[in-house]
Amino acid sequence: MAYTEKILERSIDPSVHKMLERAEKLNLETVWDRYEAMLPECGFGELGVCCRNCNMGPCRISPFDDQGPKKGVCGATADIIVARNLIRMIVGGAAAHSDHGRDLAHTLLLTAEGKGGGYEIKDEEKLKALAGEYSIETQGRTKEQIALDLARAVYGEFGKQEGFVQFTRRAPEKRVALWKSLGIDPRGVDREIVEIMHRTHIGVDNDPVNLILQGLKASIADGWGGSTIATELSDVLFGTPMPVRSQSNLGVLKQDHVNIIVHGHEPVLSEMIVAASNDPELLVLAEKVGAKGINVAGICCTGNEIIMRHGIPIVGNFLQQELAVITGAVEAMIVDVQCIMPSLGPLSECFHTKFISTSPKAKFPGATHMEFSEEKAFEIAKQIVQAAVENYSLRTPEKVLIPEDKTECMVGFSAEAIVKALGGTLDPLLNAIKSGDIKGIAGVVGCNNPKVKHDYGHVALVRELIKNNVLVTTTGCNAIACAKFGLMLPEAADQAGDGLKGVCRTLGVPPVLHMGSCVDISRILTVCAAVANALGVDISDLPVAGAAPEWMSEKAVSIGAYVVSSGIFTVLGTVPPVLGSKVVTEVLTRGANEVVGATFAVEPDPVKGAGLMIAHMDKKRKALGI
Amino acid sequence: MHPGSCFGQKGDNVTEEKSKYIIVGGSAAGMAAAHTIRRHDRQGSVTVFSEELDTPYFRPLIPFVVSGKKRAEDMVLSGCGPYTGRDIFVRTGARVESVNTAEKTVSVQGSGGLAYEKILFATGSRPYIPPEIKGTDAKGVFALRTLADARNMAKRVETSDHAVMLGGGLLNLKGAFALLERGLKVTLVVYSPEVLSQLMEPEDVFLIRKALDRAGLKIKTGCAATHIISDRTGVTGVALDHGGEMSCQMVCIGKGVRPNVEFLDGSNVRIDGGIVADRYTACNAPDMFAAGDVAVTFEPVSGDRIMTALWTNAVEMGRCAGQNMAGIKTAYSGTFGILNATQVAAEPFVSMGVVHTTDHDFEIYRHATDTTYRKVVFNPEGTRLIGAVFIGDITNAGLYRYVIREKMPVMHIKRYIIDHTLHYGRFMTGKI
Amino acid sequence: MSQPKEIFVKTDRCVGCLSCTIACAVEHSKSKTLFGAISETPVPKSRVYVEWVEPDGKVPLVCRHCEEAPCMYACISGAISRDENGVVITDTDKCIGCWTCVMVCPYGVIGRHLEEHKAYRCDRCPDREIPACVSACPTGALVYDTVDSFSGKVRKHASRELLRAEGG
Repeated sequence: MAYTEKILERSIDPSVHKMLERAEKLNLETVWDRYEAMLPECGFGELGVCCRNCNMGPCRISPFDDQGPKKGVCGATADIIVARNLIRMIVGGAAAHSDHGRDLAHTLLLTAEGKGGGYEIKDEEKLKALAGEYSIETQGRTKEQIALDLARAVYGEFGKQEGFVQFTRRAPEKRVALWKSLGIDPRGVDREIVEIMHRTHIGVDNDPVNLILQGLKASIADGWGGSTIATELSDVLFGTPMPVRSQSNLGVLKQDHVNIIVHGHEPVLSEMIVAASNDPELLVLAEKVGAKGINVAGICCTGNEIIMRHGIPIVGNFLQQELAVITGAVEAMIVDVQCIMPSLGPLSECFHTKFISTSPKAKFPGATHMEFSEEKAFEIAKQIVQAAVENYSLRTPEKVLIPEDKTECMVGFSAEAIVKALGGTLDPLLNAIKSGDIKGIAGVVGCNNPKVKHDYGHVALVRELIKNNVLVTTTGCNAIACAKFGLMLPEAADQAGDGLKGVCRTLGVPPVLHMGSCVDISRILTVCAAVANALGVDISDLPVAGAAPEWMSEKAVSIGAYVVSSGIFTVLGTVPPVLGSKVVTEVLTRGANEVVGATFAVEPDPVKGAGLMIAHMDKKRKALGI
Repeated sequence: MHPGSCFGQKGDNVTEEKSKYIIVGGSAAGMAAAHTIRRHDRQGSVTVFSEELDTPYFRPLIPFVVSGKKRAEDMVLSGCGPYTGRDIFVRTGARVESVNTAEKTVSVQGSGGLAYEKILFATGSRPYIPPEIKGTDAKGVFALRTLADARNMAKRVETSDHAVMLGGGLLNLKGAFALLERGLKVTLVVYSPEVLSQLMEPEDVFLIRKALDRAGLKIKTGCAATHIISDRTGVTGVALDHGGEMSCQMVCIGKGVRPNVEFLDGSNVRIDGGIVADRYTACNAPDMFAAGDVAVTFEPVSGDRIMTALWTNAVEMGRCAGQNMAGIKTAYSGTFGILNATQVAAEPFVSMGVVHTTDHDFEIYRHATDTTYRKVVFNPEGTRLIGAVFIGDITNAGLYRYVIREKMPVMHIKRYIIDHTLHYGRFMTGKI
Repeated sequence: MSQPKEIFVKTDRCVGCLSCTIACAVEHSKSKTLFGAISETPVPKSRVYVEWVEPDGKVPLVCRHCEEAPCMYACISGAISRDENGVVITDTDKCIGCWTCVMVCPYGVIGRHLEEHKAYRCDRCPDREIPACVSACPTGALVYDTVDSFSGKVRKHASRELLRAEGG
């Protein structure tokens, strides 16, 4: 099939080419069209020097020495404006992750109280382990009793005014001591976010470094706080992921089934949809409308949650959400929160697809709102699935075009699963690192962005890493990209360097380990902490590095901030809006090393980006004497 | 300011006098040449002979006289745009009957002769009335070419109810709309499968066709008129080739034009349909030039001989001739056979270069939406743009004309041409 | 007779903020204020355009008011003329919206007014001392100057660069 240059340049994924061609034929607008229409994007925004924090503005600082304003009306310089904007991005992301964690805590609370509409406590072992971290008594108590105390304790982390966030204490002692000495050991999840909103108000914090430090603090309350809470409580309620096989890409949609896509982030919803889709009554209904069954598939992080725990296939990542609708094969796209494009409503109207919103926090134009509540979870989930099944009769077979592309993958590598695969201890991993079979561990994560050729940033970077014996852990849209391109099959070990190849073959695992959704980056932190503790060093001494080759969301900024705050060098594939300030850029790319033992680097070329990570790991290995 | 050229009005008994420059024909090419000469030669006498009684005007505007939207005074050329030169003598109602190229004199009907140093033939063209249609001499049959025609048509409207336009070209469409605006019922009888067949192919026309239908124009394609029926009041109907008859009180014929070259019979000026002009608009003997509808010039992409009947091309040719006549040797960049831009029933469109593609091996891209249509045509190797049609969205059309005319290699901008996202910034940044 | 001033474009200064387009549209609105302009019918139109060239080229484009304006010669209704200040003007009364000017403009800076069905283009803001776009540009990408003065400045800058390069 000969596609136009324009289509081929947008993505490396053949399913995307097919759907973009269809979109052109049907005159349907996609995210790529809107991006092109937005060019040129405003340089003030790109540089981060636009400030709208007060009505004396809006202000923008000219990047040219001899022309234009050099200070905002209040007197803020570019350094101050960029720093303020940056940490507001951090809290945008931190708030999203933390709210997700808060919802999980709330769900656990309801479940413990017996008010959860169909939820149960699946992993009692994990429940007890977490309770232990909070010094909650577990001997001779029912899981509901333990869960109640745990839920209350975790819930309390959000509104806490003083003290510390418990899960931060998983980090090596040295790391926690460093945070304390810098004054960035968070007191409570919400408090740090609120303080940033205060500090960035006009006439409060006007010191770029002080601002950035508070940004790091709020991000730690996300990474080791809100995100960890989300991951751990999801494991308690829905099971800790263990290796499982599945498939990914648009080809997982089925010609003769009711296709339901869950999109968004919280397993609180997607787990129930999956459960409802197995309901015998609804299966009978499906048969009645002429379908062979109900096919549930995921997009983005909620997709990652259900593939990790149940092997439910994933349709695609962030930039493919519109393309899934354009197949014409989707009866319902059910969404909750985060990364959902408001263009889906008008787009769905061009097909029979029902675009269903479920969260009171997230309403969209053109969506049918079927509000979800944890108290009536299973009941509502069944109603939603029923609406989807009934919609099957409105599908027009001639309007359906499902690309054949789909790839097998092996997913489900929670920290616990990795330890189990290693035989119960971290030793085989540590030995492999010491011997050099594994040069180091990389965490490659993050979104898609039309500024980068779709999935090229992800796949090229990961391939370069495994070629150099770096074990790759991945989450989010990067994980989905790796799955689509076959990097999550044990056979992908063939693409790895000899050292890594050997380890993977021995353990029967792929060289790229899917660790879950974006909040599950907390799993990567947990693994790093465990390895650091086993070796008796700080995380910043480890041969580890992070990368987000195609990031776009504020959540990614928060993640980058907490990963670097934890001592992990991180490479970004798209330029963050900080170049307007020499000070901020300096701090993030060099100064941070003296402060938290790690920095950011920006490198749009993914192969070069991998090179930076590899060089960094070599340096750390040398310092460790391995 | 102008020695040596006093001559009388029409009818006076005048002896041979001289005008440095003589221009035969007072429309687009002639007046463009006249004003161009004046810009470069402040002194030399310039005399324009026009057989029409009206002072030179913008011919494309005459449908507005039919519709009553504009008056003749609104269309006067002199003083508008680039036509601001002084001391250009225009003699109206003065038909040049013959030219003596050996002695370098012209003979004017009902008047004396005049000598020249340099002469431009810009007599334009007249409507072609197909001889196979009988009865075209009846009252109420028009071919819209001059202001006089337009006035007559406007008058005839008063006693008409239904007008039939023979021919689906742009001129007839404009005339049709003018008549619709006067409240007449109008039917177009078109021999080709679609209207505007000279400007685009049948599959390109659909958006315009929809606009025409919406505007209330009745269109019959694939048929021709055989004869015009009339009585002492003038036209009463039209008979069609497939045996139908339509009653009407007005017929407008738009079947093309023929160049006005009869005045050169017996001279040694080379004629081949029209007056043959070289790349510097010169004829086959020194000091003689030809421009406008009457000239046979060349097409810039293929180099083939071509004649045009477009105002814009005539002006360009006339300017070029004027410069050459004033002693500045200027090559003519060539005439696109098709170079039309207009708005029909609120639907703008632009058509340029080679747009007829059947039986050719061109590389063609089309894109249609509910409200827009475009077709871009590349040479068979796909390396040069040779034609384009834009309907509904005509953004940056001028850039595409530039690319076609300059025969620009397009590989670095091809996708923008195809996507209609070409803009001037791409030429400025020097990225080839 | 003094030279007229032109609007020159320094593409390396353009950040793509589009302030020029907003200022132009506001200047050509009825109310002449931004808040008024956004609710007017017809929608006020900008005569200046900012285009994009990969990977990072931002190019403002505006009518050059050519001395030998192709549009003026091509206009079939005599609506386009060049005044004594060197500004090429479209007389909207005479314009019949045939778009021949659009077809011959090599810069693509003649716009099509959707509501009035006529052509429009930059008029160099006759009611202002300095054109609105130039005033609005926050980085000095648009410069209002005569040809001589502008080229003089470019030459000065180039001379300095040359000397610097030679000097080591």
